[in-house]
Amino acid sequence: YVPVKGDHVIGIVTAKAGDVFKLDVGGSEQASLSYLAFEGATKRNRPNVQVGDLIYGQFLVANKDMEPEMVCIDSSGRSSGMGIIGQDGFLFKVSLGLIRKLLAPKCEIIQELSQLYPFELVLGMNGRIWVKAKTVQQTLIIVNILEACEYMTAEQRKQALAKLSGN
Amino acid sequence: PLSPSPLGERLCSTEEATAGSGTYTRHGFIFSSLAGCLEKRSEDSGLPVVSVVRDAESQLLPDVGAVVTCKVCSINSRFAKVHILYVGSTPLKSTFRGTIRREDIRATEKDKVEVYKSFRPGDIVLAKVISLGDAQSNYLLSTAENELGVVVARSEAGVQMVPISWCEMQCPRTHTKDFRKVARVQPQFLQT
Repeated sequence: YVPVKGDHVIGIVTAKAGDVFKLDVGGSEQASLSYLAFEGATKRNRPNVQVGDLIYGQFLVANKDMEPEMVCIDSSGRSSGMGIIGQDGFLFKVSLGLIRKLLAPKCEIIQELSQLYPFELVLGMNGRIWVKAKTVQQTLIIVNILEACEYMTAEQRKQALAKLSGN
Repeated sequence: PLSPSPLGERLCSTEEATAGSGTYTRHGFIFSSLAGCLEKRSEDSGLPVVSVVRDAESQLLPDVGAVVTCKVCSINSRFAKVHILYVGSTPLKSTFRGTIRREDIRATEKDKVEVYKSFRPGDIVLAKVISLGDAQSNYLLSTAENELGVVVARSEAGVQMVPISWCEMQCPRTHTKDFRKVARVQPQFLQT
């Protein structure tokens, strides 16, 4: 994955160095994230981020000469869904092309899956997806379907979902 | 006449000669401070000058206030690291390392400066030495003058760019504009 300015990605916190967190985003270099780049963060009110946490943010600076910089607020200072991703859930990797397909407006895969079970989904442009459903089994079923969507045609996908909702 | 001398050797007393480069005086005697060749030159006025020379020519060191030519090797959001290649117009045999801090890039609007819009790795920059630096022997440089800044830069296509204004350069082949802190070189130094 090559970081691009404005891309929303899921990063894994690898180190805390003073005022800055180092995140692994799947690129050639680790991204830096300042602790002040969260909604409502001040010098006294620090966000509770530990090594190993998942963060959903966007790139502020990303070019081939410098280390990429991430933030969890947008230009107006609101978080708009970005920040630390909660406990539980499942993180897995897919190809970058599938992510772009899933992020297209009115994606059929997501609509069909949402009719199956309710679930929470975070898509990172770096190929990482985080899923959380009510039970572990439901979560794993959704993970398997998303991974298989890479190679299945629409017909095969409808058949697989029909079989699952029949059970 | 040159003869090899080890470091710290007591050369002679201050009554016989005066201390030159590479030596120091202590307790009325001249000692060598470099491991090299002893050179005794006789001056017309007074005593001969004793100096210790390493390599045939002496290394030119950048001094505070000297204008140096350097090449940017890496950039950061807070500073740019450079290799100092020339001091004035003499090339250096071994390159020194220098740092240009973000607040020393421009003289005006220092907080709005973005290092990525002033320098890129591979640019040739004219800078002035402001300090000999800290223990890591990184010279502190500044480009906060009109005559200092980027002189030669290559675009992403690999072609040398032409300056348009003090903050923009254009590639002659692809016509894309890039931001740099451009140096205003005096017309007599430009070679076409």
